[in-house]
Amino acid sequence: MKKVITGNQAVAYGVILSRVDVISAYPITPQTTIVEELSELIASGRLKTKFLKVESEHSAMAALIGASTGGVRTFTATSSQGLAYMHEMLHWASGARLPIVLVNVNRALGAPWNIWGDQSDSVSQRDTGWIQLYCENNQEVLDTILQAYLIAETVRLPVMVVLDAFVLSHTAEPVDIPGIEEVDSILPPFCPDYPIDTQEPKAYSGITTPDYFMEFRYKVQKAMEEVPKVARKVDDEFRAQFGRGYGAIERYGKEGAEVLLMTSGTVTSTSRMVVKKMVEQGVSVSGIKVKRFRPFPTEEICETIQGAKKIAVIDRNLSVGVGGVFAQELRASLYSREEKPQVFGFISGLGGRDITPDLIEEAIRYTMEHDRPEEEILWLGLKK
Amino acid sequence: MSKQVTFKSASEMPMIAVSSGDMEWNKTGTWRTQRPFYEDKTPPCSAACPAGNDVVAFIQKIVQEDFEGAWNVIQEENPFPGICGRVCFHPCESKCNRGSFDEPIAIHALERFVADFAVRLNKKTGNAGEKRKEKVAVIGAGPAGLSCAYHLSKLQYPVTVFESFLFAGGMLRIGIPSYRLPRDVLDREIKQIEALGVEIRTGVSLGENLRLEDLRGYQAVFIATGAHRSRGLDIPGEKSRNILSGLDLLRKINLNKKVMLGEKIAIVGGGNTAIDVARSVIRLGKKAILLYRRSREEMPAFEDEILEALEEGVKMRYLVNPIRVGQKDGLKRLECLRMELGEKDESGRRRPVPILHSNFFIDVDRVIVAAGEEVEFSVFPKGMEKREGIILTQKDGSTGVKGIFAGGDLTSTQRTVAHAIGSGKKAAMAIDAFLKGKNTEEAMIQNLIGGGPSLSIYGYRHPEERLRNSHVVTFDELNMDYFEPAKRQGESKSAVKERIKGFKEMTFTLSDGVAIEEAERCFSCGTCNECENCYVFCPDASVLKSEEMLSHQVDYDYCKGCGICFTECPRGAISLQGETR
Repeated sequence: MKKVITGNQAVAYGVILSRVDVISAYPITPQTTIVEELSELIASGRLKTKFLKVESEHSAMAALIGASTGGVRTFTATSSQGLAYMHEMLHWASGARLPIVLVNVNRALGAPWNIWGDQSDSVSQRDTGWIQLYCENNQEVLDTILQAYLIAETVRLPVMVVLDAFVLSHTAEPVDIPGIEEVDSILPPFCPDYPIDTQEPKAYSGITTPDYFMEFRYKVQKAMEEVPKVARKVDDEFRAQFGRGYGAIERYGKEGAEVLLMTSGTVTSTSRMVVKKMVEQGVSVSGIKVKRFRPFPTEEICETIQGAKKIAVIDRNLSVGVGGVFAQELRASLYSREEKPQVFGFISGLGGRDITPDLIEEAIRYTMEHDRPEEEILWLGLKK
Repeated sequence: MSKQVTFKSASEMPMIAVSSGDMEWNKTGTWRTQRPFYEDKTPPCSAACPAGNDVVAFIQKIVQEDFEGAWNVIQEENPFPGICGRVCFHPCESKCNRGSFDEPIAIHALERFVADFAVRLNKKTGNAGEKRKEKVAVIGAGPAGLSCAYHLSKLQYPVTVFESFLFAGGMLRIGIPSYRLPRDVLDREIKQIEALGVEIRTGVSLGENLRLEDLRGYQAVFIATGAHRSRGLDIPGEKSRNILSGLDLLRKINLNKKVMLGEKIAIVGGGNTAIDVARSVIRLGKKAILLYRRSREEMPAFEDEILEALEEGVKMRYLVNPIRVGQKDGLKRLECLRMELGEKDESGRRRPVPILHSNFFIDVDRVIVAAGEEVEFSVFPKGMEKREGIILTQKDGSTGVKGIFAGGDLTSTQRTVAHAIGSGKKAAMAIDAFLKGKNTEEAMIQNLIGGGPSLSIYGYRHPEERLRNSHVVTFDELNMDYFEPAKRQGESKSAVKERIKGFKEMTFTLSDGVAIEEAERCFSCGTCNECENCYVFCPDASVLKSEEMLSHQVDYDYCKGCGICFTECPRGAISLQGETR
């Protein structure tokens, strides 16, 4: 069934279709309408999900850690300061191997206050052991929620699904909403590994000495390394069921181009248009959309960039003191390769500023015209 | 139990750090520095009740809709819930902690509700059963004497009550108008006492047809003959002008005797008797003017009674003092002085001071003086010490004569029904202890409610059940997070124009639903009512239950002493003390 819905509504549909048992969340713009939609359905009795009201995002995640340990499917949504507030619990969720799904609607972190799109909130959680999947449109949002539970419950790691503030969260697009029976056929109920049983009490994640702590971390890493394979299988099955798939990355534009443009989130939609136009004008350029940020798709990227000389990366985030996080990750991925394309790290669109077609074209043309970047950070659209 | 597991490689290890056995070996109780324990404490209502009613216990029974249970609780301490629920000035309510939150619980209305429920149920006290051989005589069948007889009878003593009037009840019958206390309520509660096996002999008056020497066959005597002699004003003309005392008038009305009053009646006094007289006069269809020498603020009558008297048309003249009774044109002419308030006297009230040359006259058909009552001492033996208008007694109610105890209005200046009931109960305990050769004062001290002065005879009769700490719970010790404001549910009253038509009771007993609603407002200060906050909040699952109820035990093997149960108990029923180890 097709419906014209916002990104946040697409999230809510994904949650409903996934038969989530427990939701716990705290309101924050631009995420709020997700849990508003869900809590209204629950309050009216139409959705048989338990909604735990909490006093903070830290508690929201703590509550889900409890619920997930209990063996049920869980969900929360947040943004910006809220995600930052959850930080320590994010580590716990992955360390405890709980397949929680969280939606983060990207929003800049203060100060100064800003409620618009900026990936700094989610990329700063890259070391927490969460899988991170970025979305380009509302259909992908809904589909990614469903895939997220499949991946999470297979590898026993939590998943963060990320979408842009307002451009996706509050903008309506036609979305094909699958029937619940179809979803049921690919998403079985969650079976916990160590369910809570009052007849057989256990202590979870208790103090673990240096004798064993490292081995547990090793296991988390190993699980993370399983993700590319698992995610591919999930995506394949999904495509077989619904005719839609996304991959860890997506390549578009001219094949064998020497100049590549790497983006994530909604900037990709704009880039597709710019690349298409430039290719039509005879420019040899191609785009890479990065959907999966964690684990970083090193293998998939290295495979696709054979022959490329230069890669322009547009980062809608800033790791102060270094530059864009996607550019950093890309540089790290390329280091062990013999052939190392030049990486041009552009910073643009912070705090929700529009990344326009002109800016994207400017980035591509700069990359084509320079052998190497003149600066480590190339500011795109900055009022200098 | 746990066993140590050693892993050689990551592949042998589980996915997460999870215990393979339980954690019961980890006795976290050893971490504790503070020890919580269940300890019921004294609610302020009970501590304030002169009759020693277990208020919280009976109210909680109402909450559980166990009205019969509530009646049983009250009967343990007080045989007169129907009477107290109507006429007691309820000091319990002025001390009720809920008063610091919104409004106090309508305790009197709930007590009356329970008593009237017992009527519906046709609830009767059975015969108290096998008797002891020692006999006890009680002189005076007022609330003190009857309360004493009731409790002694329940303690299995054969009791005979001697009453000078031809009927039992004392002041309850002759002094309290029936619009406040209907006679059927009084009769019913006295009959309950007789049903226990208490013998009441009426028309037997101490000093007339009964002498203490006649009571040699009794091993103990309780004297509660009350204070029946009306105080006069001591002003010229008082004796010769046929001035009636307030008590005389009430007695006549209560005994259905004819009274010739005229149309306009002046009542002198500001106490409860003066108000009762004035309101009775109104009910007889006459005009009542009340003359009081101080101002409204200093009036000793209860506020509600004053308000109701004003509603019913009683005229109040404050700061007025009669100094002479004369006669003019067939009317009584009261010469009065205007007064003003001076310094505070020993009662803490401002003393009335006459204003010179402020004399004026009030002409009325009849003057009634209600200036208080005194004890008639002449009938008491020499060994009984008297001072400042009362018979002196020890803490246990004993007099200077061995085996003779005294109580009620005779021994106190706090002359209320509840005090009388309390003193009768005290005497019953003391007489039992005396007859069993026990230390009577010690028996009293052990059973004080909240440190006294009221006593629990239930505690005396069940020493094995001594549960409540004498600490009186204060408002600050309660956790208001768990209560919401709720309106006090009072009794409804009939309209003024109905009230003044006669002596019919003017208030109505609460309905079941309203009584439960009101009872649910009770904080249950200091008394666990199984709300289970402790059970829900305990992070160590150390609050134990047996079957469905809290066992009021803490599992000290695991309780870390975090104190959450103590903090989250809404009613202060959990205590916390430092660990000594």
